[in-house]
Amino acid sequence: MITKEIIDHIEGEASLYFEMQEKRVDFVTVVFPHFRGMENMLKGKSALDALVITPRVCGICGHAHLMATVRAIEDAYKNSGHPIEVSNKAQNMRELTLTLEIIQNHLKWLYLVLIPQLNNFENITLSLTPLKGAYGASLATKALAILAGQWPHSSYMIPGGVTSDPTYIELMQLRAHLEKLSDFLEKETLGTTVQNFLSFESCKNFNKIASDVSSVEQALFDLRMHKKGFSHDDFIVLGEHRFTQIAKSRATRLYNVDITKVHVEDAFSPQEKSYAKNALYKNAFYETGPLARLISKDVKLIKNMHRRYKDSNYTRAMARIYEMVYLLQHSLDLVKEIDITQDSCTKSVTLSKVTAQGIGVVEAPRGPLIHKIKLKEGIIERYEIITPTQWNISSGTKLKPSPAQKAMIGLNKQEAEFVFRTFDVCSVCTTH
Amino acid sequence: MNDYSYTEEKGLTMADRIEGVKKLFTSKSARVETNKGDAYYEKLFQTCQARIEELKTQTPINNRLDISDVLETQGVNRRDFMKWASAVTGMLMLPASFTPLVADAALLMNRAPVIWLELSDCAGNSEALLRSDGPKIDEIVLDIISLEFHETLQAASGHQAEKQLEDAMETFKDKYLLFVEGAVPLGMDGQFGTIGASGETFHEHLLRVSKHAAAVVAVGSCATFGGIPAAAPNPTGAVGVMDVVKGKPLINIPACPANPANMVGVILHYILTGQVPELDSLLRPKFAFGYRIHDNCERRAHFDAGEYVEEWGDEGAKNNFCLYKMGCKGPMTFNNCSIVRYNEGVNWPIGVGRGCIGCSEPDFWDKYAYERPMADAKIKAPTGGVEKTVDEFGLGLLTAAGIGIGIHAVASAVAGKKEDGGEA
Repeated sequence: MITKEIIDHIEGEASLYFEMQEKRVDFVTVVFPHFRGMENMLKGKSALDALVITPRVCGICGHAHLMATVRAIEDAYKNSGHPIEVSNKAQNMRELTLTLEIIQNHLKWLYLVLIPQLNNFENITLSLTPLKGAYGASLATKALAILAGQWPHSSYMIPGGVTSDPTYIELMQLRAHLEKLSDFLEKETLGTTVQNFLSFESCKNFNKIASDVSSVEQALFDLRMHKKGFSHDDFIVLGEHRFTQIAKSRATRLYNVDITKVHVEDAFSPQEKSYAKNALYKNAFYETGPLARLISKDVKLIKNMHRRYKDSNYTRAMARIYEMVYLLQHSLDLVKEIDITQDSCTKSVTLSKVTAQGIGVVEAPRGPLIHKIKLKEGIIERYEIITPTQWNISSGTKLKPSPAQKAMIGLNKQEAEFVFRTFDVCSVCTTH
Repeated sequence: MNDYSYTEEKGLTMADRIEGVKKLFTSKSARVETNKGDAYYEKLFQTCQARIEELKTQTPINNRLDISDVLETQGVNRRDFMKWASAVTGMLMLPASFTPLVADAALLMNRAPVIWLELSDCAGNSEALLRSDGPKIDEIVLDIISLEFHETLQAASGHQAEKQLEDAMETFKDKYLLFVEGAVPLGMDGQFGTIGASGETFHEHLLRVSKHAAAVVAVGSCATFGGIPAAAPNPTGAVGVMDVVKGKPLINIPACPANPANMVGVILHYILTGQVPELDSLLRPKFAFGYRIHDNCERRAHFDAGEYVEEWGDEGAKNNFCLYKMGCKGPMTFNNCSIVRYNEGVNWPIGVGRGCIGCSEPDFWDKYAYERPMADAKIKAPTGGVEKTVDEFGLGLLTAAGIGIGIHAVASAVAGKKEDGGEA
């Protein structure tokens, strides 16, 4: 018998259709029932309008959409024979604000999704403190707003750079917010210093701290999540950033990738119309997000976890938490590197001279986000968006399940729903 | 250059231009009546006082925390709280004597049941409500208000969540404030958005839940005017809440995202007076949308001096000049973000050198797209003169002002050229 479960609390809604056998998931399909038609509405508009429209695909990772758009437009400039040089300053600022968006996302996921969901299991009693996540996230978004004007839905990146031109005082304010966030995390979340946390090389290190993170780690073990939720063990990173490396990996062995080999196909959803499309690389599914990124960067703790517990749900969840701290350190480093004497924006030819295609790829909180644009004299002829959740939570067939489907098979229903959420689902992005 | 040809085309003389600019800045267009006289405020004070006393006798809803306890544990002392209350009193355009009443109303927030629905959207307003921005006390107040049912934020899911909604609707029948985030897709019989196990469309869901609401508050540009989902060619036939919900008090809080300070303002006003705040013709509360961005803009002096950013990254951009020529829609957009700002008052788009996109106005997604100066934007002519009051402007907006400013920008450009010794 097939039963339907509505999953909300995930930035929108999804439906899971479970086929159970002896109370274990035999197969499951995923449906995303909402649709807005973002790609259609971009057609016929000026390329610069996309800078205002695409961030509004998503309320939690809109900044990643902005950066993907700006990269796609700049790529089209390049392909039309008018390459744009973006200054180091503008590049650092873009990467910094993107990083801050990922941090706020992971923090909210930890306190508003992971901990409450863990608590739903019998015998797990963690303290529910959603305000902690919200407060920490607000420090990250305040820092972000100093450069980008507001969060969510900023449009401060433009072809050629960024519009803002921060002073030393503003950079100091930004640093103050980040240091406050760092202190807050050390005291409230990690139970140790950021430096010490980042130096962890083994799961045993968590035994020496008493904090929200160690309680979560213990709860994951108690629920035997290190033995559950295994997926294909194939990962992919496609966005170019300093905090990760572009690669696909079979377990922890890295291979080169070619962005042109990415394609989409209709989701398998026999029970109900789904507006989502599956994203694949050379006809195969890959897991994306923090675990993929940290493996590509050869991070010791995560590799160690992977060696012991493979791509279990434990490894997946802990990677997201670790990345939050890892990126906080990266953002503190980036602030120091912003050289305010450089130009924020370099001039480029009029957009109406651009007739070409472009592709923009960034790492959003949940993995690679791809925007493809086709311009005729600066006007959008075609726009295509492929989001990270389309990779992780494709809906494939029984013979060829997606990463999330594979991870849910064999578990009981509650565990399966929990595993589903550890992929940090974003429904609004998926269907856009 | 575009502005120049525009004025040429209209055959405007210098005298017309001067007259246009004069009219623009002497008209009452951007003013809101902030002083309604002692008699009015005395009566209002008594009404509010009586209401607060009555609310005090009621018990808090469910297990909501007591706000004074929470403020204390969060390290907010009485003095900070009163400072916040006096700022909110000012924001609501009430005399300072109302401050103690506003403070009391905030403490009684847990008497107001709120149900929150998420329809066709990006969840951005929920993210804003998630205290991602908004002054610190607003955050706490928002946490305390009785969010009886919020589809994104609540812990329950699936069938359990549906049950909670039913319970909340029954318990607080005709008393709850219904906040709606997201547009209503009507295309294909509403099949672009369905909710819950029953497969109810967003449209049906909204009608059902709004039926017994005391008032409906549309939050964000999608819920108010259709927003980005309604951008041409409007693939899903998206409309705003006011297009489908009839016969209910309705308040629109547009902007993308809506400012949490304004959400709190509306709830506080409701608690304080039991009524919806004074609204303009687009049903926006005047306390928040009675301001034109342009009138309180930190770059206004550069506009007056005719100093503009002409190109991204130019000297003007480095010196924070006016962004009108880069397509800033501040002169035709009503919102208080030039005062309240975003993310706990940290910043706002114009603060980072990016023009206003008019996100609190209808159709901004098609008409105001940012890189076209207003004089070139395809915006229909106003239905009246610039003397019209703010609530009469409505959709026509300040297009007249747009033209006036177009003229002003040309005049300054001409003057600039003369100074450079070029040919004027």
